[in-house]
Amino acid sequence: MSERVILLVEDNPSDEELTLRALKKSNILNRVVVVRDGAEALDWLFRQNAYAERSQDEVAQVVLLDLKLPKIDGLGVLRAIRADPRTKLMPVVVLTSSIQEQDVVASYGFGANSYVRKPVDFTQFVDAVRQLGLYWLVINQPVPT
Amino acid sequence: MRLLSEAIAAFGEAQADSTKLLDVVARRVAGVVRDTAVVMLSTQSGDLGVAAAYDEDDAVIEDLLASLADAPSSLAREEFLASGKPLLLPQLDLDALAANMSPALHACFRRRGVYGMIVAPMRVRGQSVGLIAVLRHRAFDRALEQLDADLVQDLATHAGLAIANARLTERVRDGDAVRAAREEVMRANRFLDAVIENLPDMVFVKDATRLAFTRFNRAGEQLLGIPRSQLLGKTDYDFFPESEAEFFQKKDRETLKSRTLVDIPEEPIQTVHGQRWLRTKKVPILDEHGEPLYLLGISEDITDRKRTDAELRRAKEQAERVSKELEAFSYSVAHDLRAPLRGIDGFSQALLDDYGDQLDARAKRYLGLVREGAQRMAVLIDDLLALSRVTRQELVMRTVDLSALAQTAVANLQRLDPSRKVEVVIEPDLTARGDARMLAIALDNLFGNAWKFTSKVPDAKIELFATDREGQRAFAVRDNGAGFDMQYVNKLFGVFQRLHTETEFPGTGIGLATVARIIYRHEGQVAAEGAPGKGATFYFTLGAESS
Repeated sequence: MSERVILLVEDNPSDEELTLRALKKSNILNRVVVVRDGAEALDWLFRQNAYAERSQDEVAQVVLLDLKLPKIDGLGVLRAIRADPRTKLMPVVVLTSSIQEQDVVASYGFGANSYVRKPVDFTQFVDAVRQLGLYWLVINQPVPT
Repeated sequence: MRLLSEAIAAFGEAQADSTKLLDVVARRVAGVVRDTAVVMLSTQSGDLGVAAAYDEDDAVIEDLLASLADAPSSLAREEFLASGKPLLLPQLDLDALAANMSPALHACFRRRGVYGMIVAPMRVRGQSVGLIAVLRHRAFDRALEQLDADLVQDLATHAGLAIANARLTERVRDGDAVRAAREEVMRANRFLDAVIENLPDMVFVKDATRLAFTRFNRAGEQLLGIPRSQLLGKTDYDFFPESEAEFFQKKDRETLKSRTLVDIPEEPIQTVHGQRWLRTKKVPILDEHGEPLYLLGISEDITDRKRTDAELRRAKEQAERVSKELEAFSYSVAHDLRAPLRGIDGFSQALLDDYGDQLDARAKRYLGLVREGAQRMAVLIDDLLALSRVTRQELVMRTVDLSALAQTAVANLQRLDPSRKVEVVIEPDLTARGDARMLAIALDNLFGNAWKFTSKVPDAKIELFATDREGQRAFAVRDNGAGFDMQYVNKLFGVFQRLHTETEFPGTGIGLATVARIIYRHEGQVAAEGAPGKGATFYFTLGAESS
């Protein structure tokens, strides 16, 4: 039996903690795996380098992907996910600060399933995360593994 | 005697045209002596040539001219011409003459039965001009006498004078024509000189062999700072650094060899005023056989233009660099400035949530103010980004339905504030040329303002309509809200300028600046009218629409 986790790709520790807090407040109980740059995200997803020994049973049910990341940026991660047969159908939600048009267009262009802006107002942030979790972890029917 | 004087008078009249005169002489002589008359003139080489002949019978003339064609001089001898005396031969012994005459003429005399002849030389001022010959043939039976000879000589003397005068007149006339032609050429030359001299570009001519300057104009003198008196006859090597002179002459030779125009878009030249840049066209000037005679060069001084171009290019590159930096800056602002605000807001809330029971009311209020500040700053950042976006973004012009954009703006406002009751009157089908997304932002701002400033009045009303302002079609958004004091109208469209306190009406002071920038980018104008408590009207025109 595989474990469905949330993969949170986030380099800002404050945002990381707020996101985890918002998930908890929204009563989302799935385990959250946090990786802090694009390269680490790909290592985790493809079980390589530091994550070569990771259990195959852990499956990301949704990737919450920031765009501005060290090493490989969010769009690079997204492209790699879509290019690999193992992950190309994986739901990816871009969760970021910017609603710069070029970011939104590029994200959808590279195959993001959803694009959500992190609100500054924490109340709104919690609300957004709650709806995301509800949709992608409960309502949405995932690809069979 | 009367015939003689008439003939002499006729010579005078005919003097203006020597060809006509000779005909007249032949005709008159023949008329006087009632014989065949032949006028012969000395040519430049000293030979005699038939100039005119007359006989009542054209056939006789034709025969005679044909037989004289081979040996025109056979009618007279040099020594006779020099004598100045007429020769009278009343009875020709044709058999005896056969040895002294050309066979053709001898045959002709025989055919025509010529039996008598007078030959009178024409002399003017001791110079032989020619002769007049009178031939008597069988058409007349009276033998030629001395009287006839004297008469013909008299006519010959007068005709000779007339001919000499006619020639002189013609020579004078020819002289005039030559002089006139020479003057015309000089005039044309002077005109060309003036054109070349006053051309703003350097014009020079070099001979095709040595490539020495043979012509130079004023613009060239000024450009090089060398007077033409020093240039003419010299070559490029006398004035320019060797490498330059080499280049100039290489191009000269190319031009002469190819025999076509050679265009040199850029060449440096060392002058007394420092280095200049030329655009030069070189043209070969060929002789009638297509061989090069001269090289014509026309050089435009492009130094200033080149400098301006370079400056323009630099400025453009700099503008592009700045624009790129601004883009990167905006991107960074959009991403990085909001994250700390999220932290401030989020952890203030976390304190309230997790430690609320340990905080008193004042501490809770402070945390609330911290959150408020963070959120306000987030709005400010968004507004500034929007403002910078409307400045940078390229316009996509098409016909835009302003009425529809206004409807959408109002629908969004109503959705966020469902309890508000506002009467909205939008004139239908208002269209204009512009960028739809930009104009949507402008209308969102204008309607957002109107919505905000009517929040405290009962029966709030917002209108959009087209109107005329100073003869130009304008659009107006009018509300019956808080209005403003016209004293501050100039501040309205400035960035961060606010006429109300944050507690009265919240706002960042960027909205109208954004509207103004959008309208300016459409080459339009913005204006506002209002009075405190009496509402406000915002006008805008779209200049791009009319063009």
